[in-house]
Amino acid sequence: QSTTTSVPLNDVDGLMQQVADEAGLELNMELPQGVQAGSIATTQASQEQDELSQRLARLRQAE
Amino acid sequence: MSLTPRLPGPGPGDPLLAKQKHHHRRAFEYISKALKIDEENEGQKELAIELYRKGINELELGIAVQCWGGRGEVWERAQRLHEKMKTNLAMAKDRLQFLESMDSL
Repeated sequence: QSTTTSVPLNDVDGLMQQVADEAGLELNMELPQGVQAGSIATTQASQEQDELSQRLARLRQAE
Repeated sequence: MSLTPRLPGPGPGDPLLAKQKHHHRRAFEYISKALKIDEENEGQKELAIELYRKGINELELGIAVQCWGGRGEVWERAQRLHEKMKTNLAMAKDRLQFLESMDSL
C-alpha cells in the first residue's frame, strides 16, 4: 500500500489544473477519454460549475 | 420490440458530450480567472469584464449543445451540467452588468 494511491483524485485534478493555470496552459482539451475518464470528467465538470456558482454568489452578497 | 436506448452504455466519444465538456472547460477557465481578479478587488476590472464576457460566450455555446439525445448516467450527468451552466450564465451576466455599471461611473 503506497501513499500515492490514497491521494484523492480531486486533489490530483486540482493540482494539475493549478499547475496548468500557472503555466497558462489549457488542460485536457483534446485528451482521448475512456469510459471511466469520461464519467469522472463530467462529475468534475459539475463540481467546477458549482464552484463558480459559489464564488459568484459570494461576490453578489458583497455588492 | 424492446426500446433500446440509442447508446446502451456510457458513450466515451459522443461528440455532443465532448463538445459540451469542451465549452464547459473553457468557460470555467475564463470565469475562474475573472473571479480571481474580481475577488482581489484591486482595479483591473476591465480585464475581469473581458474575461467574464468570454466565459459567458463559452457558457452559451455549452448550453446550446443538445444533451437529451441519449439515456444513461453519462447523459444524465450532461443534463445536470447543462442546468448548472444555465445557473452560472445568469449569475455571470448579473455580475458583468454590475461591473459594467461601476465602470461607467
